[in-house]
Amino acid sequence: MSRRVGVDIGGTFTDFALQKNGEWVFEKVLSTKEDHSLAVLEGLEKLAAREGVNLRSFLSEVETIVHGTTVADNTLIEMNGARTGLLTTEGFRDELELRRGYKEDIWDVRLEPPPAIVPRRRRLTVPERLRADGSVAIPLDEKAARAAIRRLGQQGVESVAISTLFSFVNPDHEVKLAGWVREELPDVDLSISHRVMPKAPEFERTSTTVVNAYVGPKVTGYLDRLTGRLREAGYARELLVMQSSGGVMTRDYLREMPVRVLASGPAAGVIGGAHIGSAKGEPDLLCVDMGGTSYDVSVVRGGLAPAEPGWNWHHRNLVGLPMVSVETLGAGGGSICQVESGVLRVGPESAGADPGPVCYGRGGDRPTVTDANLVLGLLSDESEFAGGRFALTRKGVVEAFERFVAGPLGCDVEAAAFDCWRVVNANMSQAVRRLTAEKGTDPTELAMLAYGGNGPVFAAIQAQELGIGKVLIPKASPTFSALGALVAKPSIDEERSYLAPVGSIDLERLRALWSELDARAETYLDAAGFGPERRVRRYQANLRYPGQNWALAVEVGRVEGAPDLSFAKASLGDELAAAFHERHRAEYGHSRLAEEPELTGVRLLVSMELEVPAFAGGAAPDRGEPAAFAPRRANLGEGFVETRVYRGSDLLPGHRIDAPAIIEESFTNIVVYPGWCAHVDSVGDYVLLRVGKA
Amino acid sequence: MSYELNRKLCERLPPLQSGAPIDGITAGIVRGAFETICYEVATHLGRSASSAIINQSNERNASIMDGQGRLAGLSVGIPQLLFISPMSVRYGLGFREADDWGPGDVFVGNDPAAGGGHLPDYNVYAPVFDDAGEIIAIQALQAHQGDTGGKDPGGFSVDALELFAEGMILPCLKLVHRGELRRDIFEMIVRNNRFPSFRGDIMAMISATQRGARSLGALSEKYGADTLRAAIDCNIAETERRFREEVIRWPDGAYEAEVFIDHDTVGNEDIRVHVECRVEGDQLTVDLNGSDTRPELVCVWNTFSNTRGYAMAQLASMVDPSIPKNEGLFDAVEIIVPENSILQPPPNKPVALGAFHPAVEVGEAICVALSSILPERSSPQVYKLGMPNAVVGFDEQGQMWMDQGVDVRASDASATQGIDGWGALCSGLGNLILATAEEAESRFPVFNLGREMTTDTGGAGRWRGQPGTRNVKQVLEPVTAVAWMVSKKHPLRGLAGGDDAGPYENRFLVGTPDEYEIENAVAAQLPANAVLAYQYGGGAGFGDPLLRDPEAVREDVLDEYVSVKAARERYGVVFEGSLEVLDLAVDAAATEALREEKRVARGAAE
Repeated sequence: MSRRVGVDIGGTFTDFALQKNGEWVFEKVLSTKEDHSLAVLEGLEKLAAREGVNLRSFLSEVETIVHGTTVADNTLIEMNGARTGLLTTEGFRDELELRRGYKEDIWDVRLEPPPAIVPRRRRLTVPERLRADGSVAIPLDEKAARAAIRRLGQQGVESVAISTLFSFVNPDHEVKLAGWVREELPDVDLSISHRVMPKAPEFERTSTTVVNAYVGPKVTGYLDRLTGRLREAGYARELLVMQSSGGVMTRDYLREMPVRVLASGPAAGVIGGAHIGSAKGEPDLLCVDMGGTSYDVSVVRGGLAPAEPGWNWHHRNLVGLPMVSVETLGAGGGSICQVESGVLRVGPESAGADPGPVCYGRGGDRPTVTDANLVLGLLSDESEFAGGRFALTRKGVVEAFERFVAGPLGCDVEAAAFDCWRVVNANMSQAVRRLTAEKGTDPTELAMLAYGGNGPVFAAIQAQELGIGKVLIPKASPTFSALGALVAKPSIDEERSYLAPVGSIDLERLRALWSELDARAETYLDAAGFGPERRVRRYQANLRYPGQNWALAVEVGRVEGAPDLSFAKASLGDELAAAFHERHRAEYGHSRLAEEPELTGVRLLVSMELEVPAFAGGAAPDRGEPAAFAPRRANLGEGFVETRVYRGSDLLPGHRIDAPAIIEESFTNIVVYPGWCAHVDSVGDYVLLRVGKA
Repeated sequence: MSYELNRKLCERLPPLQSGAPIDGITAGIVRGAFETICYEVATHLGRSASSAIINQSNERNASIMDGQGRLAGLSVGIPQLLFISPMSVRYGLGFREADDWGPGDVFVGNDPAAGGGHLPDYNVYAPVFDDAGEIIAIQALQAHQGDTGGKDPGGFSVDALELFAEGMILPCLKLVHRGELRRDIFEMIVRNNRFPSFRGDIMAMISATQRGARSLGALSEKYGADTLRAAIDCNIAETERRFREEVIRWPDGAYEAEVFIDHDTVGNEDIRVHVECRVEGDQLTVDLNGSDTRPELVCVWNTFSNTRGYAMAQLASMVDPSIPKNEGLFDAVEIIVPENSILQPPPNKPVALGAFHPAVEVGEAICVALSSILPERSSPQVYKLGMPNAVVGFDEQGQMWMDQGVDVRASDASATQGIDGWGALCSGLGNLILATAEEAESRFPVFNLGREMTTDTGGAGRWRGQPGTRNVKQVLEPVTAVAWMVSKKHPLRGLAGGDDAGPYENRFLVGTPDEYEIENAVAAQLPANAVLAYQYGGGAGFGDPLLRDPEAVREDVLDEYVSVKAARERYGVVFEGSLEVLDLAVDAAATEALREEKRVARGAAE
């Protein structure tokens, strides 16, 4: 039997998704912070037990384990990465610290500086300089370079980043520097900018390389440990690892660029969403994940979650590699509601999971969004919560609202809770609008896919505010990232810089760059044991109008099977220009036919189109309305009314639930707001449809 | 221009009083929606414009006015410039009937005499109407253009004697009538601009503004026009209330400061900006009387609209940053700007460079004046650079190119109480994304030799200013280089006993026998391979340097922000060991003795 396992490590839980033939099994265990690989083994053992076999025989039959890890994120949050040094071009010592001038808040003079990964004393420069065309303006000074390297050694660096100007055009100087570092400091980790992110400009490339150097030893150390444990336990195949680009790759590939696992957890969730959405006939999605502390939003178009390189800031560091873009807002169930200077604010401060909302009964005394939902009757203290792990309590909730919200606003507690609900709703819809603005996307063209413990509580009302008429809420949503890791495709997404007006591109150079990317992809995919037959290559070019700062990617060739550059003919320049004008018009509402677009680089996305069970589900024969149990008083946006409540476990495919209603699921509550109707599809997932004006 | 018109355009206007019921929560939601729409508008422009100054430096600012031209909401951008659209829009509104305003119209204005900033700052705006034909709101978008069609490329002339030399002046021009581009008008303004990319930029501004207008229309459909009006009233009142709540906590009194600019572009020295900030209960008055009025000054004239914007940007940084930015700020503060002065110039003075100086000195003076009562939020929101070293040349086709010189640099990143200066610039400029060498060198015939921070150029203090960088650039073809040098004699002022920032210095033809320092201003013809070296001033220090933790000074020395020598001289810190072998350690006893000696000497001097 073919079995595949997806594993995702989160802050509280480590999630598992087992796929065997057409069937899915989900599991959760508590994360083990001291060594995350322990929880991975524990969960695998549980899965094996559910399958009725021991771990060794279970693992011997597992075809693939796909893993998403937060090790890189945690390293940046806790700032406990490798002691890192930077070698760079003389004259450019401070680019990293100056951040191109960027500061996160233009109004707050009390914003603290970000903690430095590489303090200035460990940013050393070397006399050398290339011109924009890669020719040598100032030769590399070996003596000075070795002295700088030794000075880094003197400071006990464990990891060295090398980033010199225009190394992406001509890597010669960086290669030599790397060689000398290996000679002088044989034990340090090396991150070389033309390997990590071979493209302009220098700040983005240097910052990415430095973050790579900083998180690298932790990430590779962890993956080595995990691989070791898995091998001991009987798993003999390759471990695949989730990347921020939304694809998975082998440990070998990531060894040189461990920074690519940063933010891969949320990316996996989006990939899972894209997979399920497409299977259900909704390839254009707004994925919303509302958990305890944050609201993560992303857009899926055509079943794909595009990964975008560029101005991506993570934990106050820029990482310019392709990342599935996920907008994060500090709005979750634990977000604290408070009145400051007469103004009601919800979040971004969060009570987190511990002590958590007042209604968790664990000592929290500040009212939160979850508490507001309890007051509004959207949640109940009479049923189970968080997968049946505990029940909510009303104790202290009213008092907390009275003290922190209702009192200062001069209203009653129920009105105060409703105001909190409105504010967090507005905050969330504005976060969505910002993201869709960045993407030039109209949210009304999308369906919503909601997950996370609190997503389904707000999903329909969020959809309504954004003009979305359909919401999908899959039962698998509690372990979405694990599922996403499993359905993510093995893929390699890399770029190379090449600046030239489209009319004068050197076709040979363009082909050579794509061939180089092709060759790299072949090497790693072959080594990972993937056959050549299901490889899909997307040849892309990045273009912009002269003077523009943001390039748009245009796909010029989609090839299945072996590398094939036959699309790159003499007419390519014209084709690129035409495709770009069109793309620009679609994106920004106008094109400039009189201007000659310029190429900024090439990109190749190679992915393995492996078959994954569709997980589809479809409409089930109408079974009508099920019987409700214990109605309760709840405010679904239009004042308190008696509201029907359903137990998810009582529902069957084909059931239809009219508004206003609440469905209590084991992982969350689904609120059917006025103007909406819920359906249970053939595999038990929920579909909410707008049926009229509320 | 007339002073009377200025007074009229900044008048306090009454609430709209639409009569619709409103609550604070809904008003807050509308405010958030306005900010989001502005963000969408600014993002749209940033992504689609061609000029580096718009798309790379992010010099674009979106705001929303109500039907009277009161500021109702804004987005991220450059604080000083986010506050200047209302007067321009109010000017246009004065001709609503005559100019036949209607749905789908888009206007542009840049006239300093008509509420504008300086000529490069184009305000494009579009009104949104309700069913009754009344204006609900006006979407505005302001962005700095790379050229204005004046006598010098780029819009900045160091020797302009009147406004007309600086470029085309647009009081209020309708670009789009009922959704149709006015081709003749459009072609005329495009023709009057040297940059071929201007056509795309102005198109992008129009389409971004129209997008904002559509979003405002949708918002009005959702909530109703009168609810939006009520929300605007509520938010403006709320901001005024919160600002006054801050002021009432400040000790009553008059707080004075005076800062100087080295000279104007022809060498008239010590240009003065004087401020008295009066606190009486919850009323703050910013009185700029006493600022320079010499009629012979050249190029140091700041428009009235800019003066108010720069004053407010500094004030907004000195209160709770979460106070929403809208007309309520102006309702809460009285800003007195003397007529006939460098801060409200006589008609038709050239004003392009005034947006650098004395504009930023308005903020600096306010910061210095209030630093004694607001130490924890005192950080001057300034750029003291004179102007960037812009270089202009022509390619083989005769097409002009310009490297604006808004390069990665560190300057004026000052300390405030408890926090050292950090990063490249003051926090207000945190959205001004600086140009990289790899991008610039791929576009222009220039070669950046380096831009590292210069040790000891940050002002010493209990909290230290960030050092300034020395930006060294070689031009590979003959160019015209334009420069104006200030802040050498009068560098950025230290606060609360902290040292002034290191001075600026600018040298051309570096490394040749003809090397020279820019004294005032130049528009110099430079040959191929000439080298320009611009030492930017650092950030100012805050508090007595003798109180800085000696261990922090040791860290500074290890990082070469501060030299061993300056550690001793400015901070009174004595080390054992050496920087070379990295075994530097604070000699605590010697440090305490030296600090005591310095305190005594200081006491004797006073």
